[in-house]
Amino acid sequence: MARKRFILGFILSLAFVFFSWPGPQTAQASCGSVTCFVVIGSQQQVSPKGLLTVNAFYNYTPQGTLLNGTDGVIPAVDLDNRQLILGHHRELRTISQMYTLDLNYGVTDRFGIEVAIPYKRLRHQHIDGLGEANGGAGERTNFSDNGIGDVFINAKYNLLPTLSSMVVTGFGVYLPTGDHDQKTAGIGGAETMEPTAQIGRGQLGLQGSIYQTYEIIPHRLNQFASASYRHTFRNNFGYQFGDQFDFGFGANVVTVPWLVLTNQFNYRYMVHDSYSGSLSRSLTPSDPGFPDEALVLDPNISNRAVPTTGSTYFAYTPGLQVGLGEAIKTPLTENTSLYFYSQIPIARDFNGNLAQGVSYVFGITKLFQIMNPS
Amino acid sequence: MKRLPVLMIGVFVAILGVLPFDVWSMGARVPTVGTQAEDFRLTDLDGKSQSLSQYRGKIVLVNFWATWCKPCTTEMPAMQAMYDRLRDKGFVVLAVNELEDDAKVREHIKQYGHTFPVLMDRDNKVANQFGVFGLPVSVFIDQEGRVQEYIKGGLLTEQKIDETVARIQKQEPVKAAALR
Repeated sequence: MARKRFILGFILSLAFVFFSWPGPQTAQASCGSVTCFVVIGSQQQVSPKGLLTVNAFYNYTPQGTLLNGTDGVIPAVDLDNRQLILGHHRELRTISQMYTLDLNYGVTDRFGIEVAIPYKRLRHQHIDGLGEANGGAGERTNFSDNGIGDVFINAKYNLLPTLSSMVVTGFGVYLPTGDHDQKTAGIGGAETMEPTAQIGRGQLGLQGSIYQTYEIIPHRLNQFASASYRHTFRNNFGYQFGDQFDFGFGANVVTVPWLVLTNQFNYRYMVHDSYSGSLSRSLTPSDPGFPDEALVLDPNISNRAVPTTGSTYFAYTPGLQVGLGEAIKTPLTENTSLYFYSQIPIARDFNGNLAQGVSYVFGITKLFQIMNPS
Repeated sequence: MKRLPVLMIGVFVAILGVLPFDVWSMGARVPTVGTQAEDFRLTDLDGKSQSLSQYRGKIVLVNFWATWCKPCTTEMPAMQAMYDRLRDKGFVVLAVNELEDDAKVREHIKQYGHTFPVLMDRDNKVANQFGVFGLPVSVFIDQEGRVQEYIKGGLLTEQKIDETVARIQKQEPVKAAALR
């Protein structure tokens, strides 16, 4: 109940921020989660001096597709006993929903600060205890969590500020503000949920990025490209999320002044996660004594790549942006735009895990001139 | 799939690489007030070549604008009014249009009855020369070709133009005397 009230309060707060601010405004958005890597111009750019760009967006990402040749059986990362148990879970479905408030402020015309505050809702279903419970068939477990994720603070510098071209570099830090030790009901009682199903990563992360845009036909057609690299340090549970490389390129076409169509291609490469623990494997029907406790393969605590993590994902993302201020002339809609993207996978490899399906991003951008630019 | 990371890096580098070479030399700094404004030469809507230096001896308002830029078109009537009032007193407006078609600009100028010279900055060169990467920008240049005021974004009003021109006219002899 308290969580529901919190979500409602969060949404109402966003609505309040957007619709009660008087005065001059102008607008564009950036994703801080593994679930979202659409390139949104207003997020990537450096706001002019004194201008606050507020983006609020919702991202829906399902992960429930079994690719050919995979069965969704993955290892268990047993954080409480510091062990990696091969073949212990069968993934069924994960739904990630994220509400992000992204603020970009221009400190100077070339230097800006971005703060992204995500609120994440996660629903995860899997079969736990393969080879152990229910005659080795395992036990279906549902897990869900909501909360503020890892807050991202980014410093951006516009290397090439011109009317027709822009190159922005960024260096940011992910703060471990998200809950990363949530418990769930396991077959042996309450146990810490696996890191990949937690709201936060539990450790600092660093991100470097570059964004480029060029007006091919001024105010009619522009192209853009972006690249970023994220590194997360090992957390106190001994788990380290793999490095993440994101690339995107595409073009925006202004059809009528209030409607911009976007087409982009996005590519993400994620390195295997690493876990510092002992190694076991679940028993299979051909093992003597099946079903029973997992068989210890290596009792030494050492860093091991988690086999079914890491992925490559290539997607086509069409989208549109509606300039509300252009379409409806009121003080409320001035410098406000809405956007929607749908990310459709073209090629994907999730190393035996469930694959990410078609995801959606819906957002609103509003600009507020906080200080005189001159 | 495993070759894709390398391929994507290649695509990204290629995109940066195909940017026109002169793009990378753009993004000049905003001219400092008191320094000499760099000269430029552009054609107007009649195809006639005009330079900044040909207006030496006059106070010049160089205004960077585009028809899609609402603040730009909002402040233009004030520029026109002050141009009408002060042109005989040594004040001129040069409206430098950024990256638009002649026909579109001509139509706009005709519709609003502007009579000041409109120059076409077709390759963005003069805007870059003056460190312009957002519109509008207004630069007041004194009789000796020095930048006296650089205004980004903020709306020009008749009062603002009047005050600035009066201030420049007032201080000029003093500054000129000091320089000599």
